[in-house]
Amino acid sequence: MANKRNWTVALALGAAVIGILVWRPTVLIYGLQAAGIYASIAIPMGLILGIVHIVNLAHGEFMMAASYLTYMVCRATGMDPFLALVPVAAVTAAFGFGIYKLTIRQALKAPELNQLILTFGLAILLTQAANLAFTSQTRKISFDYVSASVDIGELSFGIYNFVFVAIAVAMVVGLRLFLTRTTTGKAALAVGQNPRGAAIVGIDVDRTYALVFSLASALVGMMGAVFITRSSIFPAVGSPFTMKSFCLIAMAGVGNIPGILASSVLLGVSENFLKAFRGTRGWADIVFFVLIITVILGRSIRGKKA
Amino acid sequence: MKRNTLYLAAAAAAVLAAALPAFLGAYPLNVARSVMTYMALAVSWDMLLRSGQISFGIAGLFGLGSYASALLVLRAGMDPAMSLVFATLFTGALAFTIGFAVLRLRAMYFSITTLALAEIFRIVLHNLHDFSGGPEGVVLPGVIFGGDTRALYWLCLGGLAITLGVSWYFEKSKLHLALTAIRNDETSARSSGVDIFRYLLIAFTITSTLQGMMGAIQVQSYGFTTPETAFDANFTLLPLAMALLGGIHSTLGPMAGAVLLGIASEWLKLKIPYGHLVVYGIIIVLVILLMPRGLVGLARKRRTGRGA
Repeated sequence: MANKRNWTVALALGAAVIGILVWRPTVLIYGLQAAGIYASIAIPMGLILGIVHIVNLAHGEFMMAASYLTYMVCRATGMDPFLALVPVAAVTAAFGFGIYKLTIRQALKAPELNQLILTFGLAILLTQAANLAFTSQTRKISFDYVSASVDIGELSFGIYNFVFVAIAVAMVVGLRLFLTRTTTGKAALAVGQNPRGAAIVGIDVDRTYALVFSLASALVGMMGAVFITRSSIFPAVGSPFTMKSFCLIAMAGVGNIPGILASSVLLGVSENFLKAFRGTRGWADIVFFVLIITVILGRSIRGKKA
Repeated sequence: MKRNTLYLAAAAAAVLAAALPAFLGAYPLNVARSVMTYMALAVSWDMLLRSGQISFGIAGLFGLGSYASALLVLRAGMDPAMSLVFATLFTGALAFTIGFAVLRLRAMYFSITTLALAEIFRIVLHNLHDFSGGPEGVVLPGVIFGGDTRALYWLCLGGLAITLGVSWYFEKSKLHLALTAIRNDETSARSSGVDIFRYLLIAFTITSTLQGMMGAIQVQSYGFTTPETAFDANFTLLPLAMALLGGIHSTLGPMAGAVLLGIASEWLKLKIPYGHLVVYGIIIVLVILLMPRGLVGLARKRRTGRGA
């Protein structure tokens, strides 16, 4: 089912892509680059949602915290973010583990309402703590390699952001290998499908949840480190990504990690499509909300029929 | 007997609240107004929560009400007092329409969509430059009642009184039973003949209308608004924290929480200009983990000596 849908989406995208490529290539290029960022931030959230079944509304804030950490590390040591991402990912993994043990685990048995409000509270806590520590001033480190560009005929565009596409693809492939080839990964998948059944056959559910949560935190921490090469950071920088990530996951269907790639491409390209015209530029932000609402509603209505 | 004491206490509190302007200066009255606004929002959020639906869209409906009121005055030349009524009705009508779509969603899908609604309204008003003033927002020709602090206080108190009255009605009427049944188990509610969609639509429309009304009162009391102030995420965050701290699923809980946190936040704002809201984050997390029934739940537990 998920596979069939992926193919239909891929086919429709393919047709749209060819059309746009002929007509306005930059829309496609920047759209793909944006899609890389969306996907690589959404994938860790999808991992948590698919296995731990928790909507982490503090997901974007985790990334924001990691960005600030990287900022401090880079400022203090002059390290490149691509090097700094290793220690940062380790720290955020430990942070995620701590958050899981201290808060999420206590709310696992509670109603979903409590979980949503809990992670919402965590999001506020992180944003405001950043506000307290760094004020709301934007911060930015510039790097030379970010402005790398390529000319093809009359077309000139930045290529640095393709790094994010590579990261997103690497995440999908890596997670697929982890979940299907390793014992721990298979166990995690089993827990995601049926926690009680997994516990009966002797899988330590709590340990698996902790592991998945830490892994996802490490991935999003890594993204936070890379994120500062591209954008300036401020305390609220993460929150739009929380919503966008959730939307992408809902579009792909919970548990369908490769599908996140496809839905990110759809979002990225349609946003950049609107940005290509002067009159509609300001409306680009709304694309995502239109998508989220049609997709979620469509899904719920179809779900009712099934 | 016990009920009579309760009514007496409520009446005494109402008289005291109405008489406050006689004793207080402009600044305390201003604080009181913001506490009352948040209290009304907290109570209205809780009213929908009693059906088990968490809305993160308070700021959206609040902002919608304030923009509707401001634009009615500016673009339609309506009298400010009339605009309050029409803005309230407009928010209600829009919420009713939106409700048809979003109330088919449950749990996390409902919550995230309501969160998105606030953003949609904000972006639309941000981009309709000619109509809504764009990012600069709108400035009204004047403040309602000529800016008289006492009149503004009573106006806000009136809004709060309506909200509390509706919430009280929600608790005492058949609605309460229906909403509680939906919260506890939708399947068993449906099999007992509860029209789930209809009750949710009623609750969603009414609570949204109340939030829009408070927004309209707010904009008429300050005389200006921008997309960023009208749809400020704090209008979602603060009422939520207040209701949680006080104790959800009641009228009294959110009221108690609003008084405590509203006054505390005024004080913290002066002490910590940046990020005093961190306290709210901590409160939300701690309350959810340690006392999910809030202060009212805690008090009730102590009095009866058993789990609430």
